Amino acid sequence: MSHSPTARREMPALPLRRVVVVVAVLAASLPLLLHLPGPVAVGVAVLALLAGASALRRPLPIGLRVLLVLLASGGVLAGFDFRLGRDAGSALLLAMLLLKLAELRDIDDARRLVGFALFAPFAAFLQDQGPLTLALGLLAGAAALFALARLAHASAEMPGLASEWRQLGMLVLLGLPLAAAAFWLFPRLPTPLWGLPENAVARTGIGDSMSPGDWIDLMADDSPAFRVRFEGPRPPAEQLYWRGPVLSHFDGRTWRRDPRLAVLPPPPLPAAPDGGIAYTLTLEPTDRRFVFALESPAGWPPQLQMDGEASLLAREPLRGLAQFQLRALPVQAFQPQLPEPLRRAHLALPPGYNPRSLALAEAWRAETPDARGYITRVLEWFHAEHSYSISAPPLGRHTADGFLFDTREGFCEHFASAFVVLMRGAGLPARVVTGYVGGVRNPIGGHWIVRQMDAHAWAEVWLEGEGWVRVDPTAAVAPERIFDTLEDRGGGGIAAGLQPMFDLGDTLREAWNHFVVQYDALRQVQLLERLGVRNADPLRVGIAFGLAAALALGLSLALLLRREDRERDPLQRAWRAYLRRWARRGFGKRPGESAAAFAARVGRSVPEAAASLEALVARWNTLRYADTAVSTEARAELARALRQARPPAVGGS
Amino acid sequence: MAAQAGAAGRLDRWLGRLPLLRGRRPEALPVRLDHRRIYVLPTRLGLLVGGVLLAMLLGALNYNNNAGLVLAFLLIAVALNSAVMAHLGLAGLRLDALQAGPVHAGGLLSLRLSFDSGRRAREGLWLQNENGEPALLAGPAAARLDAVLALPAVRRGRQALPRLRLTTTRPLGLVRAWTWIAPDAGMLVYPALETPTPALPGASTPGQGRPRPDRSGEDTHHLRDYRLGDAPRQIAWKASARSGQLRVREYETGAAQDVQLDWKGLPELGTEARIRRLAAWVVEAERQGRRSRLVLPSGVLGPGRGAAHRHACLQALALLPTTPA
Repeated sequence: MSHSPTARREMPALPLRRVVVVVAVLAASLPLLLHLPGPVAVGVAVLALLAGASALRRPLPIGLRVLLVLLASGGVLAGFDFRLGRDAGSALLLAMLLLKLAELRDIDDARRLVGFALFAPFAAFLQDQGPLTLALGLLAGAAALFALARLAHASAEMPGLASEWRQLGMLVLLGLPLAAAAFWLFPRLPTPLWGLPENAVARTGIGDSMSPGDWIDLMADDSPAFRVRFEGPRPPAEQLYWRGPVLSHFDGRTWRRDPRLAVLPPPPLPAAPDGGIAYTLTLEPTDRRFVFALESPAGWPPQLQMDGEASLLAREPLRGLAQFQLRALPVQAFQPQLPEPLRRAHLALPPGYNPRSLALAEAWRAETPDARGYITRVLEWFHAEHSYSISAPPLGRHTADGFLFDTREGFCEHFASAFVVLMRGAGLPARVVTGYVGGVRNPIGGHWIVRQMDAHAWAEVWLEGEGWVRVDPTAAVAPERIFDTLEDRGGGGIAAGLQPMFDLGDTLREAWNHFVVQYDALRQVQLLERLGVRNADPLRVGIAFGLAAALALGLSLALLLRREDRERDPLQRAWRAYLRRWARRGFGKRPGESAAAFAARVGRSVPEAAASLEALVARWNTLRYADTAVSTEARAELARALRQARPPAVGGS
Repeated sequence: MAAQAGAAGRLDRWLGRLPLLRGRRPEALPVRLDHRRIYVLPTRLGLLVGGVLLAMLLGALNYNNNAGLVLAFLLIAVALNSAVMAHLGLAGLRLDALQAGPVHAGGLLSLRLSFDSGRRAREGLWLQNENGEPALLAGPAAARLDAVLALPAVRRGRQALPRLRLTTTRPLGLVRAWTWIAPDAGMLVYPALETPTPALPGASTPGQGRPRPDRSGEDTHHLRDYRLGDAPRQIAWKASARSGQLRVREYETGAAQDVQLDWKGLPELGTEARIRRLAAWVVEAERQGRRSRLVLPSGVLGPGRGAAHRHACLQALALLPTTPA
């Protein structure tokens, strides 16, 4: 490491406090570490401990460091399946930051390291902006500032830890006004200048394909998928079908979204200019474009579009929390006219799969020519001979056959998939619809939360003369498993006792999402309008920010100077205040005038105050200049007397 | 980095020539440091952290990442405040006393600068001259801060103080606040002494008396009050204890001890060598406790003895022109 000669000359090398550097870097790593996938997180944590231990003593040998660099990069890349995206990049950055710790030599290294470490919390914020992550990130910022402050001390002046924290706290407190002004008023970008870094590894959640049995993990995931706030009346829980991707293409095993159908113009939906159920949907980030809207959607904001299968899609992948205002009408059949190509697409089945199911479909359809009658017959069969089970055994090549005739147990994916096969086999156009069903109302916040475990698959069948009609085969078997609540699943006991706490936590999280995470350019304009700034264009926002920042800076500066001006000796303070009171009466003590001379001069002009003034001045002189040690009580008593003394009002004024 | 430092040095010198910026003439004490002469710029660490924060701010603005914005704005505000605090660390400071110990040319002038820190507790202030080692300002009380600088005393005579820089990077090391001080004070540098110490010239008036044999009686010397610079062995401890004040013995000395140190008596030496020899003699005579009389082209000093006389002689020698008329 080379040093510039000026840097060295200006100040002698200050002592390197290794512990604070290690703490700062580890604190900066923590928020990101918590968002790494399990195996990578463990590896990085081990690396952190190793590097931290080495930083406390001496740098690791260069050979070992090179080995660690290779190991860490390889490990991180392998942990992300060699797909380099945003999260893998963050993890790599974190590993390199920690490795820098293993070559901590001198104070310049230490300072640079602490400066760079500030990136790590930001990388964590790109993945999650929850209160915990923000709190950890702010702690990391505090630890970095603390380290910088510690590294700026000469050893002769090293203060105690408590005193250091106090000073730092003062610095941060004084920074709060400016930070707050900047947060709310710094002009925000209405549209990003560049796109978010792509994430190579998709998050869990509903995607654009589904094969029976692949949602087992999802059904056990109680993390929120989205939150809903109804503005008016809300439908009963049984009507809460949140429609997501429509899967029309079946290859014998997996249902997929058919891109050719998706690009078609949206089908005509029952129109309603207003009315219906208005609600605000706050979707957790998915890295996908799917929006889960209440059936059937009647109004949506311009950021959304409807595809050819009546699914709502965002124009950009949802990489952060997204909020939309939507309206829904009571569900009814739609698209009564189905063009022939569409009809064919919704009847297609891969040849050579599920022969038993197709044979059954043909036989039953022949026996029951009425479409609705056929549907009812299938549902009754499901109800009578199939059962709901989250731990369904795996299926072979013929998934529908295996489920319908052999295992006879499964969950929504199995039911929906087999049902659509039976429909198509009977000549009825049908498709699988994925999304979420139900949700739990949070009694504290009043909003609804829909979790990943509420993921659901159902079917839509096109009926001649009616259009697409929703059929939920799972509901025929186990309605309670679909429309249940969290209490039902937890089975009471401890979980039920804790429910109010979960509700409260979720309410806070919803408020956090609304007030903190969702604050953007639009809300900024709304805020300014509430403050009386009309037509807040970027220029006006900038002016508002400038004014607020100037105000905040002025406030900080005033507080700083006030701190400086504050006399530390209470007696001296009281004496000066007393003199100021006289000065306001027109009797300022002249510079160079002794206290006694001042008292004499004022006493001549204001004879009625002469006695008390002279007594006070005499006591002041005694305490201030007397040889003998002065008791604290005497000083306190005089300070009190000075504080209470008031010069009399003068001469008719 | 060296190039950077060189550029910074050039810029510094260039700024130093700007009359409005820093072209301050040497100024009389007390020197009050106000905002007009305090400069604040980021350190290299500050530039680095500034870059990191700027990148964070841009990224957070682009993605409307509010958590990132909270962190970035908070850190930026703290960094700005730290610049203000660095400025305030210097503002209001007053240099009100300079004190230099006696030094001979070739030695190190130990210069004590004494600052009144006002009502503010100040820390992390470093004082240095152009190329010297920096010294940390420290004080027994918060209101008074001292720093001792070791300045090389190159040649005898009045030595102007170099321009001094007072720097701080507290509280976070992100910005450096500095100011230049050029106190108008010349420090006296005594001439270098000839080594090895030459023998004193022979008694100028041989046979004329000898040291009084009896130096123990109270009446053989008188006592005077202690003055700064008196040697501890001269203090009359018993008398001091009686009077409650430090008293110093002053010996009555005989004229027999007088040495005559004459400029004209050393024609074989060059000017500087002569000055070195005479200076060494003055010191030696004082060490032996003998009265000396220094005869210089510029005048005669003494006969006399004691710190004051010694100082007067060395000062006269120090201030001799390089080529005496």
